[in-house]
Amino acid sequence: MNSSFVLRAGERGYDKFLSTGDSSSYIAGHPEATLTRHSSFNFGPYQGGRKGFGRLRVFGDEVFSGPGCGYNIHRHHNFIICAFVLKGQLTHVNTVGNIDQLTAGDYYAFSAGSGGKHCELNLKNEDTNVIYLWILPDQLLLPPSYSRGRFDPVYERNRIMTLVGNADGALRVSQDVRISRLATDRAVDLDYRLSAKGHGVYVFVLEGEAKVNDASLSRRDSTGLWGAGESIKLRTGEEDADLLIIETAA
Amino acid sequence: MTNNPLKRWICLGCGFLYDEALGSAEHGLAAGTRWADVPDNWVCPDCGTPKHLFEMVEIPYAAGQPALRPAA
Repeated sequence: MNSSFVLRAGERGYDKFLSTGDSSSYIAGHPEATLTRHSSFNFGPYQGGRKGFGRLRVFGDEVFSGPGCGYNIHRHHNFIICAFVLKGQLTHVNTVGNIDQLTAGDYYAFSAGSGGKHCELNLKNEDTNVIYLWILPDQLLLPPSYSRGRFDPVYERNRIMTLVGNADGALRVSQDVRISRLATDRAVDLDYRLSAKGHGVYVFVLEGEAKVNDASLSRRDSTGLWGAGESIKLRTGEEDADLLIIETAA
Repeated sequence: MTNNPLKRWICLGCGFLYDEALGSAEHGLAAGTRWADVPDNWVCPDCGTPKHLFEMVEIPYAAGQPALRPAA
């Protein structure tokens, strides 16, 4: 698992679920809502790829199409589930006590800990595109928790913003991870400095084009780097670009 | 009898935890039941993920957990 790689958009796992038939108890929405998931790592029916990256186990690029589409309420333990809304609206309900509506730029961290249920829904006609990350916690059966934040791609453009982890204004989670975002409206050269030697970095191109160290990446391509030293080089394209950067302990 | 320490396994479909020290009495697995002795056709009681998609983890419990501690 701890070797560097480049994963092209088309090499990811792909699953498609309908809200009717066999998956009707899993997938919300009526009639014939459709949920698609591109997985960077093994998850659910997709088991042909990598197991994960460091403490990261799931990276799903998901689209909920059709009113009411999403996941019916279901149970979790332990995993820290983070969602980053890229497009449309997401309604999130959890047993911590939150009913939340998130739009593009909003994100949350839901730590299932000792047990929590959640429901994810698109209640609109427009498609909802969400990135879901699952992170192993550093302690088992923590009290479940939920927090949310917002990334403004205009106000916070052309600089690396840490959204989750140990940083000012970031959501705190119980794990040695740092999730950052870099949205640019011009070519930008930056060094991403690792918070600890031995950490790995997984960079996913949400939009546009970028070069990460020596790897040239297009939309929805990604790369995982281990042993990169103290920093990695990020160079975005001339057109708008948007990167999600996950730093994790091994 | 093995001297291997008892291990913890986590479901990669939902995060359900199986601790060999605790077993899972409500699912017919006595405390001390090794993962290797859990039937191969056993699935996660919460989400149905098959046994082979659990991962062994070496993660400590949070304070006050587990609620039911194994006998010393």
